Amino acid sequence: MRAPFAYKPRRGPLQDASPGAAVAYLGSIVVVAFLYLNPLVLLAAGAAATLAGILAGARAAVRSAMKMALSLALLIAFVNALVTSRGETVIARLGDWPLFGRVDVTLEAIVAGVSYGLLAAATIVAFAVYSACVDPDRVLRTLRPLAGRSALTATLVSRLVPVAAADAARLRDAAALRGPAAAPVGKAPLARRLLAGSLDRAVDVAATLELRGYSLDAPRARNRRSRSRYDRRFYAVAALVLATAIAGKILGADDFQAYPTVAIGFGPATLAVATVVTLSGFAPFRRAVKRRPLQASRRPEVARV
Amino acid sequence: MSELAIRRGAAPALAVRGLDYSYPRASKPALVDVSLEIAPGEFVLLAGRSASGKSTLLKAACGLVPHFHGGEIEGEVRVADLDALPAGPGELAAAVGYLAQDPETQVVSTTVAAEIELPLEMRGDAPTDRARAVEEVALALAIPHLLDRAVDTLSGGELQRVALAAALVTRPRLILLDEPTSQLDPVAGDELIWLLRRLNEEWGVAVLLAEHRLERCLAAADRVVAMEDGGIAFDGPPRDFLRWSHDNDAALTTPAARLFSLAGLESLPVGVRDARQTLRGTGIGHPPHIASRRVPDPRPFEPVLETKNLWVELDRGEEMRDVLRGIDLEVRPGERIALMGRNGAGKSTLLRTAAGLHEPVAGKLSLDSIALLTQNPSDYLVRERVGDELPGDVGLAVLRVVGLEHAVDADPRDLSGGERQRLALAIALAGRMEGEQLPAVVALDEPTRGMDRARKDDLVALIRSLAGGGVAFVDKETTKATRPAAVVVATHDVEFASAFAERVVLLGEGVVIADGPMEEILSGGWYFATEVARVLDAPGVVTPEQGAALLRGELG
Repeated sequence: MRAPFAYKPRRGPLQDASPGAAVAYLGSIVVVAFLYLNPLVLLAAGAAATLAGILAGARAAVRSAMKMALSLALLIAFVNALVTSRGETVIARLGDWPLFGRVDVTLEAIVAGVSYGLLAAATIVAFAVYSACVDPDRVLRTLRPLAGRSALTATLVSRLVPVAAADAARLRDAAALRGPAAAPVGKAPLARRLLAGSLDRAVDVAATLELRGYSLDAPRARNRRSRSRYDRRFYAVAALVLATAIAGKILGADDFQAYPTVAIGFGPATLAVATVVTLSGFAPFRRAVKRRPLQASRRPEVARV
Repeated sequence: MSELAIRRGAAPALAVRGLDYSYPRASKPALVDVSLEIAPGEFVLLAGRSASGKSTLLKAACGLVPHFHGGEIEGEVRVADLDALPAGPGELAAAVGYLAQDPETQVVSTTVAAEIELPLEMRGDAPTDRARAVEEVALALAIPHLLDRAVDTLSGGELQRVALAAALVTRPRLILLDEPTSQLDPVAGDELIWLLRRLNEEWGVAVLLAEHRLERCLAAADRVVAMEDGGIAFDGPPRDFLRWSHDNDAALTTPAARLFSLAGLESLPVGVRDARQTLRGTGIGHPPHIASRRVPDPRPFEPVLETKNLWVELDRGEEMRDVLRGIDLEVRPGERIALMGRNGAGKSTLLRTAAGLHEPVAGKLSLDSIALLTQNPSDYLVRERVGDELPGDVGLAVLRVVGLEHAVDADPRDLSGGERQRLALAIALAGRMEGEQLPAVVALDEPTRGMDRARKDDLVALIRSLAGGGVAFVDKETTKATRPAAVVVATHDVEFASAFAERVVLLGEGVVIADGPMEEILSGGWYFATEVARVLDAPGVVTPEQGAALLRGELG
């Protein structure tokens, strides 16, 4: 079974774009999420990442990321509500808790938690889309001339992750198949065994890299497909998103205050930033090529004699 | 020597002189005074039992030994006139390609095209040259349709071809292969061997191939080198090798050679074609067709495993696929069944479903109890003492069943491959036995990967003892019937199946396509047939002993 975030070769603007353009585009969405606390802008960033993933054909990755992100967002909101007693609108007084002290759940703490949760969610979805759509081989190829050792480590790790996942699945099966009178296998011995096996696997993968000539100091060749016709589009969208986000920040688009009472700005600047960020999600859109239907040849008449 | 001279084949593809090598902290050397020369364009088969030094010699020829593994080395290794000892594996990669047993750790990229292109990129080749080389090697290995696929969506056979393509893309003068067919079904295994032969003939690539199943590749080889205890015990043509193995190490001989030897024929054949020609020359010609003689023993017990219209669906990549499609099967106590079929036919899935690892989506499965040993016995071993894996009297009893009661205090890692496999089986059996009685079904999934003949013979004996000789008996004192276990083994190894099985179930694309007595199934086809069956083409004759009896006129 493949991991939903695993890269799958497909044809599409985001997949065809050079790693630099794809990283710039998805990175700009993440930057917006980190620059803003306004939930509307954060929602827009999440929507942009989701749209980008769907248009790029990475529905499975987006779906899995959404599940993970929403769980995390809810957890953050829940924890923030418990640990922060600031805010004037008390929803529930839960009394004194060990470690927490007096727990008052306030609307402001919940909204602030939701805001942090949205930040995390937008980031997770953007990274999931990156993982599913950007070819790691091309990223590593770009990285190799700049940082050979880092690229080697990244290659080793990127290959070891699926190998270790397969090993872990096999070990789990073997543990399930042990007879009831065999010593039970806890998580610790299993993890130890997996680690020991991973070291052996790492040696095998490293040997393969060695055989492929990874340690050679040969002149690095120019890469094919280093640029794509979609690069300009993604760089332009990234620049537009960043410029709008920075301008919006300066103009007060990040108008959000959680404490002592919630105040969310919906002014023109905020709406403009949210609109631009949301629309940036359409960047991986590809217009379907219209094919002219072939003219059906006329059926020959049956000759009657 | 200039590259042009090397390309033209002036230098030997491999020259090893007086090579001694010991792995770090090893108690004895892995290679002892090895001298060997392989001419350009030669196809050499490397034979020998497990741990005889075959893999180490291959690693020395590609530079992994000593550069990657360390250890002490003496002697000389030259690959296409490059001195391999000062040069590393990366430098040697232009002259030599290496393919190891496990294809999973031999790919390092995400897509097939990137994987094949990587060695050229590392060498600094221009993009246009890389594109052409990738295209050509993909065409040569019949994998152009895989180029855009992600490597983690490939089957074992496809992955093996991709790894071979990556090893060949630099147009090396020598290719080294370490048991490349061990994970392949007979069809894919034969395809790979003949593909190598074609590359050898058309591209002039010298081949050094280490293999246990010699009957698969002996006919393709120009020469055989047999290793024993780290040294070279034999070096000569295939026909002379058969004579040598007949006299010195019967575990290395082929079924066809054993057939001829038992039948008293002097000239031992190197393959099916050769055997048929020899038989025609001796006037024996085509043996008479005889009807299958085997009638399955009536079994006194009800089925212990029964499936009716069993359907199993699994997630393969991004889509769900029906891996088992309406399987009907009955297994009775004491039966020894070989479950065969191509890679992906559903053999492992059937066993795993019976063991409860997969849920059927439709149909019925009834089963008394089952102990399943999966493909990697090491996965069962997580502790550092055998006794800790199997504590108490129950543990000792089950160790006795597999003949390991003497090894209670041993570290599982110090056991031999065969002993580790038996220990893993004991772990699967522990607690599933009622007194001395085994579980209803003992299932083994591909247990002979990387095994030599001697270890396979041990496994056959173990399977026979688990199945109680196939006979249920009544204890005179308790008057209680003792039910033997049914043993079901998923295997690609046709010769191994002929040695242990009495019934063969052949799966194809998730359905049972043949089910019957072993002699009938393994003599009625081409790929799923033993070498003796292919030589004699006589229904019901699959083993050298049966074939020799037929040739001596004792049957029919």
